[in-house]
Amino acid sequence: MTSFAPDASGRRRSIRGETAIVGAGRSDVGRVPGKSVMALAAQAAKAALEDAGLGRSQIDGVLSSVAFAAPFHRFSVAFSEYFGIVPTFSNTLQVSGATAATMFNIAAAAIAGGLAENILIVGADSLLTGLSPDLALRSMTESRDQQYEMPFGIPVANTFAMTAHRHMKDFGTTAEQFAKVAVIHREHARRTPGAQMTEPITVDDVLNSGWVTTPYHKLDCSLISDGAVAFVVSSADRARSAFKAKPIYILGGGECYTHEHIFLMPSLTTTGAVQSSARAYAMAGCAPKDIDVAGVYDCFTGTVIMMLEDLGFCPKGEGGRFVDDRQITYGGAIPCNTHGGLLSFAHPGMPGSLLHFLEVVEQLRGICGERQVAGAELGLVHSLGAGFATQATTILGTEATL
Amino acid sequence: MRRIDPKEAHVKPLPTPDADSQAYWHGLKDGKLLLQHCSDCGNVQFYQQVMCRQCGGENLGHRAASGRGTVHSFSVVHRAPGPAFKQDTPYAVLLVQLEEGPRMISSLVDADPAALEFDMPVELVCDPVNEHVVLPRFRPA
Repeated sequence: MTSFAPDASGRRRSIRGETAIVGAGRSDVGRVPGKSVMALAAQAAKAALEDAGLGRSQIDGVLSSVAFAAPFHRFSVAFSEYFGIVPTFSNTLQVSGATAATMFNIAAAAIAGGLAENILIVGADSLLTGLSPDLALRSMTESRDQQYEMPFGIPVANTFAMTAHRHMKDFGTTAEQFAKVAVIHREHARRTPGAQMTEPITVDDVLNSGWVTTPYHKLDCSLISDGAVAFVVSSADRARSAFKAKPIYILGGGECYTHEHIFLMPSLTTTGAVQSSARAYAMAGCAPKDIDVAGVYDCFTGTVIMMLEDLGFCPKGEGGRFVDDRQITYGGAIPCNTHGGLLSFAHPGMPGSLLHFLEVVEQLRGICGERQVAGAELGLVHSLGAGFATQATTILGTEATL
Repeated sequence: MRRIDPKEAHVKPLPTPDADSQAYWHGLKDGKLLLQHCSDCGNVQFYQQVMCRQCGGENLGHRAASGRGTVHSFSVVHRAPGPAFKQDTPYAVLLVQLEEGPRMISSLVDADPAALEFDMPVELVCDPVNEHVVLPRFRPA
């Protein structure tokens, strides 16, 4: 693995603590009819700038994900035009669900390397009202390979379902344990203003919600939503004085890409999150036991169980029992997705994981009110996509963790 | 990114062979599932490409697989990915572990998806879906 220690000339090859999130905001999320993708993006970007106390003209870099409902090849460039700014650093990134984390890694490296000063990170989409449900699903199927996967009618859910299914076979993980993930996420969403789903649910409700693709029922699957999220990232030096909001520092980032096709995934039950998180922990100089609050990509219930293992929060094969023991909520070992996650808060596609970032940033700022995790100083966000093909772990912290 | 036209969403996606994969799709028309064997390192790989993913060499030959494998994992689809597959539900997508080593995605034929079990033996069925395309599917062996 890369060494993050200083080299012979004393130069440290790491982004640890070099940059901070100095502004964060989101648009309306959930079912948001009558707003274009760009309008949602602009609403989120304005909120992030307002939070930072910056004007539009002070943004000199823009990073974005792509959007299904606004299929610009260069979304970051199209957004800059819409938003009325002329950045001197820009890119539109695409590694599916892990894109969110890669935007922070690239922003941190770009700022540390002098390519930009204030980078706006923005993700937006309108999957619920901007596309019919059939087209939204089909659009996601199109992300599978045209020759070796798509002809067999493999929905995006299917790749994740096959991994969870094998996890049940190999480790005795149960449908009830998967359901418990959904139940806890719904409990969390009930405390979060603006959450898309707030009706309480039980394990039986999940098990009786109808099959989507075995072993997943409807309530094992994340939502389809509209929404946008934006952040401003700046250098740590300026973060201490130049902005309104409490800065949250980027301490570590790790990525891993083990395969593209699901049939070339090295193991269905142990993923590249092992490598991505090991790199992030090494850069940040911390261990799983040090993390106070986490955002763990929850496209499906079983995904959370597998990631709790690969991120090192519990041993391999014990994710189901860990959830059963309520270790992922308040009072447990690692409160996860305290906003309700993709399962119950909202899942507007690419921006989905940015909502995990927003929640962890707000937890570390200590502004979460009744859903605050007491004393949260060190946070982790894990983003992933494409049937575990893309994995990225980010570690964030308050000034006390620098 | 590509946006799907509503009319297109009702048509099942079919493979368009490229320069790497012509032999593979042609082989299926002859009832053969071709795997690539590397004469430098012995690696057997699915899918066809110009280089060995293990050693990077380019001395690759095509050989027909036995067609025997096991079900490494599976998922029975009840909610189809778009209108084109709606009439087929429930259908089983398989992750087949081929006898020669590689894995591939396929779907189950000639059996009730409810009868599927992990690691059960399956065998190749070459299924002509139109006059140009034969898809490799599997049935219980």
